[in-house]
Amino acid sequence: MPTKHLTPEILNKLRLEAVRLRLDGHTVAETAARTGLSAPTVSAAWKAFREGGWDAVAVRQRGRRAGQAASLDAAARQALETALATLPPTGEPAWSSRGLAEALKGQGHRVSPRAIDHWLERRDLKPEPLALNGLARRRSQLGRWYRQQLAPVLAQVKQTGGAVWQGGARTPPPDSGLAEEPRRYQLYLHGKRGALFTRVLAAPPLADDYLALFERLLATTQVPVALIFRGADLQAAPAVGDWLSQHPEMRLVMMPAGLPA
Amino acid sequence: MTSLTHLQKLEAESIQIMREVVAETENPVMLYSVGKDSAVMLHLARKAFAPSPPPFPLLHVDTRWKFRAMYEFRDRMAEETGMDLIVHINPEGVEKDINPFTHGSAIHTDVMKTEGLKQALDHYGFDAAFGGARRDEEKSRAKERIFSFRTAQHRWDPKNQRPELWKLFNTRKHKGESIRVFPLSNWTELDIWQYIYLQNIPIVPLYYSAERPVVERDGALIMVDDERMPLEPGEVPMMRKVRFRTLGCYPLTGAIESEADTLPAIIQEMLLTNTSERQGRVIDHDSSASMEKKKAEGYF
Repeated sequence: MPTKHLTPEILNKLRLEAVRLRLDGHTVAETAARTGLSAPTVSAAWKAFREGGWDAVAVRQRGRRAGQAASLDAAARQALETALATLPPTGEPAWSSRGLAEALKGQGHRVSPRAIDHWLERRDLKPEPLALNGLARRRSQLGRWYRQQLAPVLAQVKQTGGAVWQGGARTPPPDSGLAEEPRRYQLYLHGKRGALFTRVLAAPPLADDYLALFERLLATTQVPVALIFRGADLQAAPAVGDWLSQHPEMRLVMMPAGLPA
Repeated sequence: MTSLTHLQKLEAESIQIMREVVAETENPVMLYSVGKDSAVMLHLARKAFAPSPPPFPLLHVDTRWKFRAMYEFRDRMAEETGMDLIVHINPEGVEKDINPFTHGSAIHTDVMKTEGLKQALDHYGFDAAFGGARRDEEKSRAKERIFSFRTAQHRWDPKNQRPELWKLFNTRKHKGESIRVFPLSNWTELDIWQYIYLQNIPIVPLYYSAERPVVERDGALIMVDDERMPLEPGEVPMMRKVRFRTLGCYPLTGAIESEADTLPAIIQEMLLTNTSERQGRVIDHDSSASMEKKKAEGYF
């Protein structure tokens, strides 16, 4: 019987029962059959008993105890929000969790990148990249878009040793869920293995914000880039069009509206 | 005796009003704004006079600034119903290139809608015009009668309206007077949506949520429907999941952020909302009591 779904209390009762049965002379197989535990679990409980007595039979509590999670204090949260509105001094296209952790460390806040990841996730600031695997075979609008528009660009960029990034602009829902709260505007990129780089602005991003993102992306990667982008009508911005025509090493592929994320 | 549902009662009332107008007036017309209320009104008119097409034309007072999807839908519906479609654009407005950006929403509405409507009614000599206004839309509409009489100059006097007790309508006109008739007066926005759902009435796709390019103007989400929309320096429209609760000229109509892309989802959203659909119309914020003022001057 798989024990993962059992609560620690029930699992511990069964482990104690297994030890009692073993003490009564039942084999591992018989004990496993009678308690519903797996043979390795019965053996592990028996071994723990032999090495540490009855007290050692119970499994340790899973995960962190309540209240032990690394939490961000108000000052750290404020520092994060301030930083996210700016461009990172490191030259990265936008803020990564690691970059934010470093920046906060410089201001005296010791916060791990993982804690920042969780904070971003809680605030709905961690959009997921589009899973490109398998799109070529899909018989949907998304599949057609991939085959007809994206695949040729990806092939060209890969031929020149380039990189594939994804990104977009979005308006996450307000923190509190109240519509009256000021809107937030997120610019983001997904790099290798889906690593997130993001900025969060108080006003809709302007052409300069997009261009700063693109310029830094090219500077960071140092190779041609195919950027799959969504959430903005960049064709309506002449400045972006001009910049793209001057930077053929950046191939921008807009995701059509209405496609699922 | 079977009792009617509230929608059936509203339907019966609207159909009776339409038949009454056709019986009592000489040259009626249906104002067709291409929105959801117009869609319901057109559907009711077709029911009222089936199997023939309704015995009056459709009149669209165009401003040249409606959403592209509305024009496509309008032409499709005119073809499907077999009704005559009269499209009137104020030629003086065209000559002066009146538009919402350089002239502002008030002048644009006055010239292209109010004056345009008056011109069309005079030109074709219509003595009764059906409109899809509802009482729950706006306070000045709430007090307007179903049969709303207009002077020869198309002016409305809110303090001089005829009683409509027991749904008895006095359709007698003085010389030169015309009537604006509102068969959907007693419907609510929710009724409209429920009826559209139950009767499977086609509507402009803009009512359904989809990703659309929008910019923010004074807190309103304005869709960039064509290249005529002037953008601020450096401004980039964002693609956001929005829909429209009301449709008008696209630069003057605010979208709402919504996930409702089906009729049941829209109805569910309606049940939870506590704001008027016209909150999204820029023209309604021009000045206090602006709608009543516009209506007194002849606005639909």
